[in-house]
Amino acid sequence: MKVSLVWSSPMPERTIAVAMRRCFSTKVIEEIESELEQKGPEYWKYLLTKALQDKSLDVLEHFTMTLSVEGAGEAEMGGLIRSFPYLRASLLKGTDWLLSMNARTLVELWRDPRSKEFAGVVVSELESRNVCPMFNALAFGEKVHAS
Amino acid sequence: MRVKLLYHTDVEALKRVLAQRGVPFDPELLMDHVVYMFEIEDCSRVTTHQLVRHRAVSYDQESQRFSAATREGVVTPPNIQSSEAAYKAYDEALKAVYSSYEKMLAAGVPKEDARYILPSAIKTKLVMTLNARSLMHVVWQRTALQAQWEIRELATTLQNLAKEATPELWTKIIER
Repeated sequence: MKVSLVWSSPMPERTIAVAMRRCFSTKVIEEIESELEQKGPEYWKYLLTKALQDKSLDVLEHFTMTLSVEGAGEAEMGGLIRSFPYLRASLLKGTDWLLSMNARTLVELWRDPRSKEFAGVVVSELESRNVCPMFNALAFGEKVHAS
Repeated sequence: MRVKLLYHTDVEALKRVLAQRGVPFDPELLMDHVVYMFEIEDCSRVTTHQLVRHRAVSYDQESQRFSAATREGVVTPPNIQSSEAAYKAYDEALKAVYSSYEKMLAAGVPKEDARYILPSAIKTKLVMTLNARSLMHVVWQRTALQAQWEIRELATTLQNLAKEATPELWTKIIER
C-alpha cells in the first residue's frame, strides 16, 4: 500500500493551538493568532502537550488532511471506515482511494492495534513531507520508527 | 455576528489526484474531502445550541467556566428590539440576571457555577471545522424559511464564504 499526502491544514500545530486558546480566551481570533505568533512554536508545543496529556483530543480535530492511498482493497478500507466513523474514503479506481481524516482520528488509529500499522504509514508520510514535526514527535514519538 | 473562514482544502490539489487517475471532476466525490474551518464570533448561545445539533462537525467554543460574562455581551432579537414594552422587560430581566451573577462572583462562587444563571442570549465565540457535505446539510436545514433568523443569518454567511472560497464545488452543489 502506498500513501501520499495530497493536502493538509496550513500550520497544523498553530491551528490546534488556535482551537485550544478559543476555549479559554474572550479575544477575537486575530488577537489570538497574533498572541500565538508572538509567543511562537514553544508555546504551541506547550498547548499541544497539554491537550495530549489532558486527553483533550477535540482540539486535534481542526488539523485535517487528505491522502491518496494506492493498493488498498475494499475489505481493508471498509474495515477502517467501519471502525473509525470520522474517516472519509472515496474509491477512485481499482484499489486507489482518496482518504480524509483529522489528527484526532490519526491518533486513535495509532492507538488501536488493528490500525496501528496503517497509522504508522500515514505518520511516516507526514514526517517525510515535514508537515507537522512537532505534532508527530509529541503524539507518536520514537514509536513511529520502531513500528 | 462575525464569521471568518480560517482555512479550506485546496480543491485544485484534489482535482489533480482525480486527473492523474482519469476520474472526472465530481463534486459529490469531493464533498467528504473538502474541509472548512470557520471562526464565529458574537452569535448567541441560542444559536450555538442549534448549531451543535449538526453532528459530524468539530467545535471548540469559548468556555464560561473560565471567562466572566458581561451585560454588554448579549444578542437582542429584532422582535424584542422593535417593541418598547418587550425591550423594557428584556432589559430588566438581563439587569437582574447580571446583577445576581456579579454578586455571586463577589461572594466567591466560581464562574463555572455562577454561569448557571446566565441567559441563552449571551454572545459566544467558537471555531468550527467541517467538510462540504456537513456544511451543505447545515445550509439546507438552516437557511430554510422555518429556521430562526439568527442561525439563518449564520448559515447564509457560511454558505457565502464557502462559495467564494471554493466556487466550482458549490456551484455544482447548488445546481443539483
